[in-house]
Amino acid sequence: MRPEEVLCLFPDGIRYRWREVAEQAEKLQEIRLRAGMPLSVWIGNRERFVDTQGRIVDRPEKAARAASGELEDLLKHLCRYSVYAFADEIRQGFLTVQGGHRIGVAGQVILDGDGRIKNMKYIRYLNIRIAHQVRGAADPVIPCIFENGKVLNTLLISPPGGGKTTMLRDMIRQVSEGTAYGEGVNVSVVDERSEIAGSYLGVSQNDVGIRTDVLDGCPKVEGMMLLIRSMAPQVLAVDELGSIEDVQALQMASGCGCRLLATVHGSSLDEVRHKNYMRYVIEERLFERYVTLDRRMGICRVTGVFDGEGKPCIS
Amino acid sequence: MYKLIGILCILAGCAGWGSAKAGQEKERVRHLRTLFHIMGQMRSEISYGKHTLPEICLLLSELNDDCYHSCFVRIYERTREEKGGDFPEVWEAEVQACLKQLPLREDERETVAELPKTLSFQEEGGQSGRIGLAEAFLEGRYRQAEETCENRSKMIRSVSILTGLLLTILLL
Repeated sequence: MRPEEVLCLFPDGIRYRWREVAEQAEKLQEIRLRAGMPLSVWIGNRERFVDTQGRIVDRPEKAARAASGELEDLLKHLCRYSVYAFADEIRQGFLTVQGGHRIGVAGQVILDGDGRIKNMKYIRYLNIRIAHQVRGAADPVIPCIFENGKVLNTLLISPPGGGKTTMLRDMIRQVSEGTAYGEGVNVSVVDERSEIAGSYLGVSQNDVGIRTDVLDGCPKVEGMMLLIRSMAPQVLAVDELGSIEDVQALQMASGCGCRLLATVHGSSLDEVRHKNYMRYVIEERLFERYVTLDRRMGICRVTGVFDGEGKPCIS
Repeated sequence: MYKLIGILCILAGCAGWGSAKAGQEKERVRHLRTLFHIMGQMRSEISYGKHTLPEICLLLSELNDDCYHSCFVRIYERTREEKGGDFPEVWEAEVQACLKQLPLREDERETVAELPKTLSFQEEGGQSGRIGLAEAFLEGRYRQAEETCENRSKMIRSVSILTGLLLTILLL
């Protein structure tokens, strides 16, 4: 990742403050801005702060503080002066910008008559999560997810920040382009939160392979059926299964002959097995491989690969 | 002989000036029509396409020619993430520069140039509603200009020829 890509996240007027941070683009993980609070960054798994001159410092007392107006300007810039275009994403608490970087937002929530989140105002907390594509992240599991040249239905399991999406992205790329274990096949991706492909103006910002079609910003349930009808995928990939509807749509997709790559939050296969919406498909052995991931000492790693019965393939 | 040539020159000059003025009137009508169509395109891209304003500028540059094409391309380029320009400022500067050379009235130029300043950037309905107001204003001006254009053109041409005749008489 280039330093310019980090600088692009900020409006021209305040870029000078982020130059030193941008120099650390490769190690940069998060930029956190809270109104009236010190500007903090996570670089190489360590929290640092940014002073008024843009220098990276260790102590929060020396750090510059983010003004509310600055946050508003930054949000406008990130939304390209068109917050309305990101209203659906903001309602979910985040937005994705060019490069696939995810901006978490928090402020005061506006509810509609039914008590659902309608919008958010006074956005005073921003968390910029820098996306890093890790080519080869899926190398350790690729041999396990192919059998006789065919992709096996695979579920990636990890807690938040454990590297699920990074792993899934690289799996999609490798499955799409072909590996020593199987030829490249057509992959369709339902990228509900624009995290996998990081599409911008409809063009994927991350390398997801030459035979990959991306449906960006579409809810998983509708997206899966739409792609099966329209793109005839051999492999269907989705991120973060989170409801019974998602799982039912996956079952339908499997019934249509698609192979599946999916992710779910969880710290272990047992924990996922106890989720109401996952129990049935695990018992039914919809998935033929489970890959568990974890983050230790800031490094994401594969902690186990299990077959459909939950027996370890490698661990 | 010289007098005759002089008379013809004066008459031709005045008629030419009149034609140029009448042409300007027609140009004004054409640009007002283009501008109000641009507002309509913006509104529709916001409501249906949910594009961001810089993206809309890129689309507008493809849909329009003349000076508008280059103006919208420049706005898009300057407000891309790489440059990080402030959209309302960039829009105002580029649109002012583009419209300055066109036969429009000051309030018509201001309506377009200052448009982003009046937009909230927050809500889709409000955004397109504000653009709708500008569109209605420009459409009103366009209809008015179109109605009066023919008569004004005729009047300008007649006045210019009469001015030529008057000058000729005075000089004789």
